[in-house]
Amino acid sequence: MDRLAEAPKSTFLEKISTRHFRSGWKAFIIIFFLLFVILPTVWVLSYIFTDWSSIETVMGDPDLMSTIYDAILASFEIAAIVTVIDIIVGLPMAWILVRKEFRGKRYLDTLIDMPLAVPTAALGFSCAIFWAATSSNVNAPGFAPGFVDSAFLLIVLLHVVFSYPYMVRSLAAILEQIDVTYETAGRALGATKLTAARTITLPLFRAGLVTGIILCMARSLSETGGTMIALATMANSGNFETGPTLIGAWKSNPDLIPQLAFVSILLIVISLILLIILKIAVMKIKLPAGKVWPKYERILSRGWAPFLKDSTSSAFLFIFVLIPSFFIFTYVVVLPYQSAEWGLFWDSLFYSFIIAGVVTVLDIIMGVPMALYVARGHGSKIIQSLDVLVNVPLIVPTAALGFSLGMFWGDVPGIGSFDFILIVMAHVAFTYPLVVRNVAGAVEEIDPSYEETARTLGAKPLQAFRRVLYPMIKTSILAGAIMAFTRSLGETGATLAVVANANTAPVYIVDLINTEQFYTAGLACIVLIIVSYVFMVLLRYITKRRVA
Amino acid sequence: MPEITVRGLTKRYGKVIAVDDATLTIKDKEYVTILGPSGCGKTTLIRMMAGIIEPTEGKVFIDGKDMKGVPIEERDLGYVFQNIALFPNMNVGENVSYSPRVKGKSPEEQGTTSHKYLELVKLLDKMGMFPGELCGGEQQKVSLARALATGSKLLLLDEPLSALDARVRVDLRYDLRRLVKALGITTVHVTHDQEEAMSVSDRIVLMRAGAIVEMGTPEQLYTKPENIFTMNFIGETNLIEGWVRERSVGLCKIELRDGSELEVHSCPYDTGTAVVVSVRPEFVYPFTSGLRSKIVSTTYMGTYWRMTAESASEDEIDFDVPVSDGHLYKIGQEVYLMINNKATVVFPRPHEGIAEAVKLE
Ligand SMILES: Nc1ncnc2c1ncn2[C@@H]1O[C@H](COP(=O)(O)OP(=O)(O)OP(=O)(O)O)[C@@H](O)[C@H]1O
Ligand SMILES: [Mg+2]
Repeated sequence: MDRLAEAPKSTFLEKISTRHFRSGWKAFIIIFFLLFVILPTVWVLSYIFTDWSSIETVMGDPDLMSTIYDAILASFEIAAIVTVIDIIVGLPMAWILVRKEFRGKRYLDTLIDMPLAVPTAALGFSCAIFWAATSSNVNAPGFAPGFVDSAFLLIVLLHVVFSYPYMVRSLAAILEQIDVTYETAGRALGATKLTAARTITLPLFRAGLVTGIILCMARSLSETGGTMIALATMANSGNFETGPTLIGAWKSNPDLIPQLAFVSILLIVISLILLIILKIAVMKIKLPAGKVWPKYERILSRGWAPFLKDSTSSAFLFIFVLIPSFFIFTYVVVLPYQSAEWGLFWDSLFYSFIIAGVVTVLDIIMGVPMALYVARGHGSKIIQSLDVLVNVPLIVPTAALGFSLGMFWGDVPGIGSFDFILIVMAHVAFTYPLVVRNVAGAVEEIDPSYEETARTLGAKPLQAFRRVLYPMIKTSILAGAIMAFTRSLGETGATLAVVANANTAPVYIVDLINTEQFYTAGLACIVLIIVSYVFMVLLRYITKRRVA
Repeated sequence: MPEITVRGLTKRYGKVIAVDDATLTIKDKEYVTILGPSGCGKTTLIRMMAGIIEPTEGKVFIDGKDMKGVPIEERDLGYVFQNIALFPNMNVGENVSYSPRVKGKSPEEQGTTSHKYLELVKLLDKMGMFPGELCGGEQQKVSLARALATGSKLLLLDEPLSALDARVRVDLRYDLRRLVKALGITTVHVTHDQEEAMSVSDRIVLMRAGAIVEMGTPEQLYTKPENIFTMNFIGETNLIEGWVRERSVGLCKIELRDGSELEVHSCPYDTGTAVVVSVRPEFVYPFTSGLRSKIVSTTYMGTYWRMTAESASEDEIDFDVPVSDGHLYKIGQEVYLMINNKATVVFPRPHEGIAEAVKLE
């Protein structure tokens, strides 16, 4: 105390540790979130207030309502199926990544994120030519399975590709924080590996499961560009529509804005209700972990069973996620060489990387403090509603999101001419929640007494965070940052909605696909993937080394 | 009947040798402590016994059976973790009944087992509480009850009493010994507290820097250790440097560095050998004759005063005086110290120097 009084000037650290500064900072973070993330995202909803009568007209049209009903039902069915598949196959994969040591683990680890770096449209196309029966002008390579003729099934397969990395990442980040000693203790008490994992680790997993489920469901519910391309590519998709594809189709027609707003509202409201129920259910319901079958679980814990489990989940990763994502590469092999305008592509790639980098940094600076408030502020109603609100940009269909962002930023005077800022702001809106969700999930698992200890040892809140909390949540920040980075790198629809002639790599690739230049598109995807891959491996390497 | 043997057990982490070629046998129903300073490899050794980590070299046998490839859950042992590791998602009762549960015992049997062992550690009233709601000592007791509830006859304990305050720790260690003896359990108990090791063990295994230094009963290690490190680590001792001057049956004369002479009980070394004489502070008395020394510090220890003196031979010698005599000694004062020569142990002088030989790592 005395020493503080004597010190003539307070240090920077002391200044930013004062109460005033902290509440100011907190207010700033929350206002940023509301103003730059939530508001632009839901701007399309303003329609309810400005033009309610035309929405009533939509509701009065039975044919339209039945189309909307079918599409939305399909969306939720697909999201539910995809999430269940992701949990089943994602869990063993997360286990492999966290608890197993093997050579080349770092490379596998990075490979899992790669489908996120493929532009969504290219991913949709790639998946479609791999799985679906396609018409001849697509020129799909003859060795593709190409037998899927149900649109519903194709979209499920596609959305698994989109969402699988999210599930694995979220689960792995949480698993990393659960002390292995619990499982070892369980086994020392006579539990087999499977029993110990099932009765001890899994129940500690809830926060990770919630994060994973939210991310997966939201990704499936909101995916527009890839889904539309996949449906367009398959030979006969019938009249199959999902909520987002309806929006995607209506977006370009100014007369259909009421319909668009109506479907967006429905998707947002239903998803939010669903997520709240889900979150409560996962946190409150006691898992039926009571029963144990020692004999069968022993059989499943030893010998061929774990091997089968690991090889199945690896096979799943390759057959259902990686190969369909990268199948577009095969065009480079089967089609004759075509020359292309590479200078443009390199420019766009550079531009995309800069955008993704700036977006990720903004997400971390603004998102990590938000995650701390969300995870530590269970007492406050305001914080709890923020927690729900954070998910909104994830759920809004990307087409509606882009539309909404375009509407919002277009209305802000002056900013319309700054393409770069527009694209960055748009990308922050849908990547910010990825960082917040991941980090909040991790912080919830950490006993607050660690920070309290640091504080009693004299650490300022910022020091307590940096020295104590940060090392523990680092993997989750990295997971969030990678998701945000790749998501920004791959996004097409939302970018086009804010800046019609944006010069990013995904836009360039989608142009190639639309003009049927498959060879060049394949090559451009390969380059994009390789550059992202190298970048990601480097990032992991650097962050790993900083620990040692 | 569990008997556990390790042979040539070694664990390396890169260049670090955590355990170096350990060989020992723990007999059925024996209570053995593994004692050593922090970081000497105790946890690593006991973890290899349990099968939690794989040895780099060497073997573990339980009842003569090679345990290679046998997973922890099939080694039939109870293990108490250094960091306690109670399952945070289960209450005290569920933690204790976990073992019978995963072994497929009936719910009734699970209930009676957890009841029985919680009663043993006197925590029956905490049955419904969660680990986070217990204090450190209670957590440690629950963790012990949980290990005992395996019904196994082999118990491995890694610092099972470290979270307790000094008083409870002393009480509980006797309880612990009584308990496992009554149940006929073979126990391996890891500790860095030499007093704890002395008071509970049938036998102590002393480790230093990954290697086993010496094994024996507490009394052997206290009174007649073979190693100067043991002498210094277990209990306190004075180490006085000198040379053997004259040797006869039952008596031996040692020349100190200032030419003065010290008589010791016996020594097996030839005349002229450089040696170290060890004598514990309780066997050094102030007298009217003996080693001329000067008091350099005095410390009040509660039931006695600890005096540190420097002798004319430049050896540091500690001795104790009763509280009532404390006022008789002042720093700088000259005293003469007698040594009970029946209580001396003579070691050859280590070539690396005494300080090096008794260093903890
Ligand atoms: N996984 C590991 N990787 C590298 N070094 C390790 C590892 N585990 C232990 N060590 C090293 O091995 C040595 C012995 O460790 P161990 O935990 O067995 O010590 P200990 O005797 O139990 O210490 P304490 O009394 O502090 O618990 C230490 O130097 C430690 O740093
Ligand atoms: Mg230890």
